[in-house]
Amino acid sequence: MSLLPWHSLSLNPLAAFGILLTLGVIGGQIANRAGRLPAITGYVLTGLIIGPASLHLLNQELLSAADLFVNLALGLALFESGRRVDLHWLRVERTLLLTTLCYCLAVFAALCALLLQGGLGWQASSMMAALGMATSPIVILEMLRETRAEGQVSERLTTATALSSLLSVIVFAIALGSAHLQNQHSTEDGILSPAWLILGSSLLGLLAGLLAIALNRWLGSQRRQQQTVLLFGLIALLVGLSVMLNTLPSLALLVFGLATRNLRGGHTVSEPGLLSGSHFFFVAFFVAAGAQLAPQTLATYWPLALAYLLLRSAIPMLFWWLLAPQNCLSRRRGLWLGLALNPLSGGSAMLMGMSTLALGTDATAFTGTMMAVFVISELAGPLLTRLALRQVGDIPSED
Amino acid sequence: MLHFNNSTPLTLGVELELMILNRRDYNLTRGSDDLLLLIDRQPHGYDIKPEITQGMIEIGTAIHQGSDTMLQELQQIRALLVSSAQKLNLGLAGGGSHPFQHWSDQQIYPKERYQLVSELYGYLAKQFTVYGQHIHIGCPDGDAAIRLSHYLARYIPHFIALSASSPFYQGMDTLFQTSRLTSVNAFPLSGCMPCVEDWAQFNDYFQHMAELGIVASMKDFYWDIRPKPEYGTVEIRICDTPLDIVTPTLLAAYAQMLAHRCLAEEWHDIQAAHYHTYNYNRFQACRFGFDGVLVDGAARQQISLQEDLLSTLNALQPQARALNCESELGQLRERTLKRQSDSQWLRAIYRASGSLSEVVRRQSEHWMYGSSA
Repeated sequence: MSLLPWHSLSLNPLAAFGILLTLGVIGGQIANRAGRLPAITGYVLTGLIIGPASLHLLNQELLSAADLFVNLALGLALFESGRRVDLHWLRVERTLLLTTLCYCLAVFAALCALLLQGGLGWQASSMMAALGMATSPIVILEMLRETRAEGQVSERLTTATALSSLLSVIVFAIALGSAHLQNQHSTEDGILSPAWLILGSSLLGLLAGLLAIALNRWLGSQRRQQQTVLLFGLIALLVGLSVMLNTLPSLALLVFGLATRNLRGGHTVSEPGLLSGSHFFFVAFFVAAGAQLAPQTLATYWPLALAYLLLRSAIPMLFWWLLAPQNCLSRRRGLWLGLALNPLSGGSAMLMGMSTLALGTDATAFTGTMMAVFVISELAGPLLTRLALRQVGDIPSED
Repeated sequence: MLHFNNSTPLTLGVELELMILNRRDYNLTRGSDDLLLLIDRQPHGYDIKPEITQGMIEIGTAIHQGSDTMLQELQQIRALLVSSAQKLNLGLAGGGSHPFQHWSDQQIYPKERYQLVSELYGYLAKQFTVYGQHIHIGCPDGDAAIRLSHYLARYIPHFIALSASSPFYQGMDTLFQTSRLTSVNAFPLSGCMPCVEDWAQFNDYFQHMAELGIVASMKDFYWDIRPKPEYGTVEIRICDTPLDIVTPTLLAAYAQMLAHRCLAEEWHDIQAAHYHTYNYNRFQACRFGFDGVLVDGAARQQISLQEDLLSTLNALQPQARALNCESELGQLRERTLKRQSDSQWLRAIYRASGSLSEVVRRQSEHWMYGSSA
């Protein structure tokens, strides 16, 4: 009797991945058809329902096993996001660079002040503020794909998303080093750690870019399919190597994308675009992200989380509204662009793990507040972005 | 009743339809509104307007006596367009069709006429995302316009071969030198003007078509050549938009020389028989370009398109002198002798790179920053 499977039935990682995809698509469609919500919100809600916080169909162990796909999805999105940064355009359109820099730094300063006021220590505040600077590349890219949005707001949105993610990981690495110093870790840890994180990650990304261009050229123009497989392989390798070498995968992948877009000969590296082939990884990512959410944290941390989210929405809206004419936009479109930048970066969860090690006693408050922030942001962010893109006319009308 | 607004004979104007591209993968992008908005923030007197779908824009020159001043104006328009496009991270390009766009992705421009065209023609309207050059030649009166329209019909294959720049369509090499005209052919009122002999007969024809509810204005005719009564011109609509801004002026100069000969010789050999071979010759030019073979129905003989074009150009020497466009005539002869076409250039880039995205990138660089800058 004990040989019959249903007596010891438990999901393996492949079945878990299957559940993420199957239920994710069903949830996405229900959200879309019944509530006219973005499919992304449906994926996240599905995760929340089947995850450890609710039905417990997926436990933490299975979610960890599905990490492979989740990290690959994140890698693909970050690479593609890096490819959206056109340095030639930024040279012509310096105001775009300046606007992004200004709003990111203002968000950082404002969030730091808020969190210090809320009782968190300097290290936890600076790390949380650094995470708050970044907009989620994966949400933005998936939203643009889902709605087929394109136009000047979408173009600036993708560039600002990639640049804010770059800035965020760099500031985060510095904050992490400072936390190591403050918590009596060795001076080497405090100084070498951010240097290694920033320079090591960038170097890895750059090398991957050079390698991709060289291999692409070597394979030749008639081997498009092989070139695509190679690129998937390089992205997976870079995620893995980055984790092995204790660097920042998000920074490495952003630099990888940026390098292939802007270095000579890199133009055809990602042709045809990777996004259409990455969709099922993205679905798994959002369901897993939903399953990781802990809504119970809202009970304690909702006031601080809400204030955090309001600030990081209001500041980009203010800056884009102010600088809209210089960015060739109307003030109204500038305001909506600021709102479209709302979704919080999905890569932040990965960085949170690194932070808790360095924070000591502040780690619980840090994790609790961030989790409460994620609960609200992951559900509301895609909705706000879609609303903004619709308002500015970047989503095509139905024929 | 259509009134023909007489204009100064042999004056010239061109219109060019251009692609608006994203600079990521060089696909078409819905950029016409943003581009026009930014351009219109600066005071300029140029004719720059939207076209049927949002990945297109049309520029038109003023009226010129010759192609040299037209080139100067086109360069100024290009400078204005390029500075705005750079700020918006948009690419602009010539070429008769985008090599890999999907027609279903295109959005009809929200203008009443285009919405009506879309309602009537369905998917054909979106497939009309192709890019042409129109050449206007001033005519002294409606009768002259009818004569000139018939006269130029004989030379349509030359214009096709000289401007061909759409070998790729929907991601494939079509094997044609210009695939754009296939999209135009799908419209029921495409092809050539009926064999009317003068403006009065043309008006009768137009009234008849209007009474039947088939047309409401001249815009409803998608003919290769048509009179344009409101401008007082004959409009040649057969050319693909060339990849640079010099070629359009050479094509305009060629049309001007032919028109000069037609009007000076008071040509009036209008016969339905001339049109028996029209579609076949047009196909030969679209498919094979300079290597096409033309059939002369009256003489019952075949001649290579290149040979026919060269002999026509040689015969136009007096007109070139009279119009002060000998340099343009020389350039046209050189291109014909070398069989130099934009389609050939595009195919060479594709052979070297294997990437249609790279083809459009080079196309765009060529139009925006080409050597005549």
